Amino acid sequence: MTLEADVIIAGGGSAGLAAALASARGGARTLLLERQTKLGGMGTNALVHTFCGLFHPDVSLPWAWLNAGIPVEIGQAMMERTGQSAPDLMGKVYVLRQHPSLYAQIADELCAAESNLTILTGSEWTDLHRDGNRWQLDIMTRGAKRQLKGKALVDTTGDATGARLLNPEWCQQTESARLYRPAYICAFHGMTGTHDDGWRLQIGAMIVRAIRDGKLPPEAMGAGFRDSPFAGETFLTVDLEAGQGEWDPFDPVKRARVEREGREVALALWSFLRAEHADFKNCPPPMLPTKAGIRETARYIGDYVITGDDLGLSRRFEDEVALAGWPMEKRENARGPKFRFFDEPKPGGIPARCLFRQDVPGLYFAGRCLSADHEALASLRVMGTCMATGEAAGKLAVDFASRC
Amino acid sequence: MPDISPNAVIALIVEHQIVETDVPLTPESDLFASGLDSLAMMQLMLHLERQFGVRISPGEMTRNHFASATVLARWLSHPNRSAT
Ligand SMILES: Cc1cc2nc3c(=O)[nH]c(=O)nc-3n(C[C@H](O)[C@H](O)[C@H](O)COP(=O)(O)OP(=O)(O)OC[C@H]3O[C@@H](n4cnc5c(N)ncnc54)[C@H](O)[C@@H]3O)c2cc1C
Repeated sequence: MTLEADVIIAGGGSAGLAAALASARGGARTLLLERQTKLGGMGTNALVHTFCGLFHPDVSLPWAWLNAGIPVEIGQAMMERTGQSAPDLMGKVYVLRQHPSLYAQIADELCAAESNLTILTGSEWTDLHRDGNRWQLDIMTRGAKRQLKGKALVDTTGDATGARLLNPEWCQQTESARLYRPAYICAFHGMTGTHDDGWRLQIGAMIVRAIRDGKLPPEAMGAGFRDSPFAGETFLTVDLEAGQGEWDPFDPVKRARVEREGREVALALWSFLRAEHADFKNCPPPMLPTKAGIRETARYIGDYVITGDDLGLSRRFEDEVALAGWPMEKRENARGPKFRFFDEPKPGGIPARCLFRQDVPGLYFAGRCLSADHEALASLRVMGTCMATGEAAGKLAVDFASRC
Repeated sequence: MPDISPNAVIALIVEHQIVETDVPLTPESDLFASGLDSLAMMQLMLHLERQFGVRISPGEMTRNHFASATVLARWLSHPNRSAT
């Protein structure tokens, strides 16, 4: 069985969701393919719970949206549903707390409103071919194979899957030791008390003490807590070294090890804190994510590779299609982020050339696998920016499909 | 009581890459402005305890005590600080 469309969006995370909405609204018959059964990518399945990159980087000014369009639509819907009237000011940045369940709901509703858009979930993209002037994707749904055919293809899998299936020279990958580390996020319920910076430090100290006393595994050192917008719920994020130099997100044995380690640390922290800290006394075991959060894998080499220096200098481009405002938040180990802020609190431009290669007409990429160097990725990978680059790639794809 | 100098605290921070800054740390540098966050403070606490044999209790993990290398060193060396 073959399904045909004008535009195929592969990967339904923040970038793919925005790309699919932009494509369908642009009048293209659009298919959105997703291997999990929720849209939202890491923002739903890995429980990443803040939207970064949605706001202007100058915190000496009142907060303001950075990219008009779908990022604002999703951001506003999230504010309404979580009862927030403004983002939080965290140090030198504005961020919006988001709820993974509500993100899945917003994604469903936005997609259901588009008659040109068909969502396919629970289906893995397994191969890519060129058939005349059409892209042909092989997909697999519970052992059933199908083909998708489209005039234009947007790869928003986060992994440069298209390049890795058809021509690995179109993509690049940072060496294992420097790859941004994965992390494991889970949700604690039944929490009491208020959890400010001072509280986080004291919990941190309790964890350090317990590690020293052999009551918690050393991996618990990477633990941090942040309250959800809803009372009684707190998210735990554990940054993992994942074997440091040995980490390979494409190796299923190592993936399994990271997932197991994440669960092990999360549940060890739960037993320990439940026994030792009043705020955790009534917590049932935490809700685990569908999968660990993977920060960096492979990305495309487009006609332009945007760099950390471009962002640091807030460089603007004639062909820019979106703006970046999040600092480069580098996490090459589990000892916390190293930030490189833009020299001045001004947004940087993201050129259209980071979303395609002239020599591969009809293929676009956005989100975490756009064309950027390792340092620039540390800024551009955040969800607000992924929505903006996804929307831009969706528009480019519609335009291409309308010309074939 | 251990006699801990601000420079020994800085050396520890640098050795274990607890914060990485373009501008070198001085005894008076604001550690939080230099990138010290709660994860980094946990690291620092662990290394201070290991290196100087001090004990820092969870209740003492406050931003006031970790404001700068000088403040931290003076506080850790203070004779009235409980040794447990
Ligand atoms: C631990 C962690 C913490 C983070 N914290 C924040 C934060 O606080 N704020 C923030 O804004 N960002 C944060 N990020 C970054 C952000 O979550 C991701 O970079 C962002 O989700 C990337 O969006 P994306 O759409 O490019 O990719 P993803 O969200 O990864 O979505 C890609 C989608 O493609 C699907 N897919 C992949 N391959 C296939 C295939 N072969 N077939 C079918 N479907 C496929 C995946 O299932 C997934 O749904 C964090 C990331 C991690 C890992």
